[in-house]
Amino acid sequence: MNDVVLEAVNLSKRYGDDLVLDGVTLQVQRGQTVCVMGPSGAGKTSFLRCLNHLEKPTSGAVFIDGELLGYEHRGDHLVELPKREIARQRREVGMVFQSFNLFTHMSVLQNVMEAPVGVLGLDRKQARSRAEELLETVGMAHKAHAMPEQLSGGQQQRVAIARALAMRPKVMLFDEPTSALDPELVSEVLETMRRLSDLGMTMIVVTHEIGFAREVAARAVFMDAGRIVEDGTVEDVFRGAANARVRDFLGKVL
Amino acid sequence: MRPSDPSALAEDDPVPSPTSEPARHGRMVELAGLPIRQRGGHRREIIAVAVLAVLALAVWSVVSNEALQWDIVGRYMLDIRILNGVWVTIGLTAASMAVGLVLAVIVALMRLSGNWALRQAALLFVWFFRSTPVLVLLIITFNLSLFYPTLTIGIPGGPTLISGETHTLISPFMAAVLAFALNEAAYSAEILRSSITAVSTGQWEAGTALGMTRARIYRRVVLPQALRIAIPPLGNDTINMLKGTSLVAFIAVFDLMYTAQSIYQLTYEVVPLLVVVTLWYIVLVTVLSAVQSLLERRLRGRSRKLGNAARVVAGGKPA
Ligand SMILES: Nc1ncnc2c1ncn2[C@@H]1O[C@H](COP(=O)(O)OP(=O)(O)O)[C@@H](O)[C@H]1O
Ligand SMILES: [Mg+2]
Repeated sequence: MNDVVLEAVNLSKRYGDDLVLDGVTLQVQRGQTVCVMGPSGAGKTSFLRCLNHLEKPTSGAVFIDGELLGYEHRGDHLVELPKREIARQRREVGMVFQSFNLFTHMSVLQNVMEAPVGVLGLDRKQARSRAEELLETVGMAHKAHAMPEQLSGGQQQRVAIARALAMRPKVMLFDEPTSALDPELVSEVLETMRRLSDLGMTMIVVTHEIGFAREVAARAVFMDAGRIVEDGTVEDVFRGAANARVRDFLGKVL
Repeated sequence: MRPSDPSALAEDDPVPSPTSEPARHGRMVELAGLPIRQRGGHRREIIAVAVLAVLALAVWSVVSNEALQWDIVGRYMLDIRILNGVWVTIGLTAASMAVGLVLAVIVALMRLSGNWALRQAALLFVWFFRSTPVLVLLIITFNLSLFYPTLTIGIPGGPTLISGETHTLISPFMAAVLAFALNEAAYSAEILRSSITAVSTGQWEAGTALGMTRARIYRRVVLPQALRIAIPPLGNDTINMLKGTSLVAFIAVFDLMYTAQSIYQLTYEVVPLLVVVTLWYIVLVTVLSAVQSLLERRLRGRSRKLGNAARVVAGGKPA
């Protein structure tokens, strides 16, 4: 089977003189869960943000289900698409942030319904029953009418996952979804993500949770200094650890 | 070791305390059972009484002051001319604030736009109207006909919609609204801009990642949160403007202040009329403050209440 959902080709990103991404290429199969690891500053966040055009790559391209993200082809060059078009493309890619970023003035249910109603144009009733289903899936149905500030970090993150899922994305990106959580709240979020993976969602997860990677991800890539330096099964990346940097990093995390 | 250090003294104590362990514990239980009283006895009550006494004295000295001529104050409080003036003051403030806020939103969004020219234009607007005295602005708008004798509103190169002599088109009231609105827009634009930037970038990113457009994120996510932050300073500005509109005396618009002036210039009842004016401003500011705190509470609790309403509609159990 060679059903590629997301493909990054030779992505580079430069901030001033800093080359933060240095020719990153990655293909992700439908239904696959890929863990991205690497030391702080390796470019993991920048990479993920290029995958939904929150950040414009300096060069290279991203394809979602074969469609070029953010640009259109004109003769011998690419032109950035109109903002509205890019917004449409972003529906296909869900993103979960380290700091949750729930809309603070909306209830849990409103958070999950906002984009389906406003962006997809679903009628409220449909959007509502779908939102309730999703909140059920992430175990937050009982808090549907709570405000974000009344929830624990783990609960907020599960709502954020439901909110992203409500757009029916083809791929879900997670940027260190448990790094801001108290240790005892980490497992409930990981459990939710494991369930998603089991349901066949395609996921790219930046995480330092080795246990989660081992059990859930079929594949891991290791980034360092803006490059992917290891790519294989999680065991490969761990066991091989041919790369001194990988060994060093794992020594710190394990 | 400093001799003033109490722990040092205790350590150096040559005779160890003879109390036995059970006795010590008994004493602790006894202490734990004692009630707790406010420290400093009745200090709080004494201060309260003193403050109230001073306040009562102040009020009495005002109320009992013959010079204020309360009988005349009472006669003018509901005088039809004064009431008209009150309405003009309210109308001026409401219209100027409304026009000012609409302009302010536009200027604030321009200042935050990605377009350099728009940003500079907004900056220029704020700079100019914050540095021009309102009184000068007022006199300019009132005398607009000196600068632009005729006004024409229409489509450039197309049909003319309205055209006429400036002084017939713009009444003194409109001139005042224009001046106050421009001034207010410059200040409110800054309030709105800082409130908008105070909303975390995470909110923008979350909206963007969900495929929302910039306009939608502004409308649904950022402005509602920014407004919550902006209400207290905007309320302050409104109260300021309410009293500031008394400058229209210079262009002979009969607001509360100018009405009172024109009466006491004939009757010489200066002091009682100034008291009437003050009392009316107090009433109006009190109402405005109440509206402000109502708005603040509404905006803070709105989403929660909506949440409750949604629960009721869903037939769920209230928490
Ligand atoms: N907006 C930015 N401007 C300048 N430098 C940035 C910006 N964002 C990230 N960087 C730099 O890019 C490098 C990679 O950052 P990041 O992608 O956040 O790494 P990671 O997520 O792996 O820790 C870091 O050195 C960081 O300082
Ligand atoms: Mg990061």
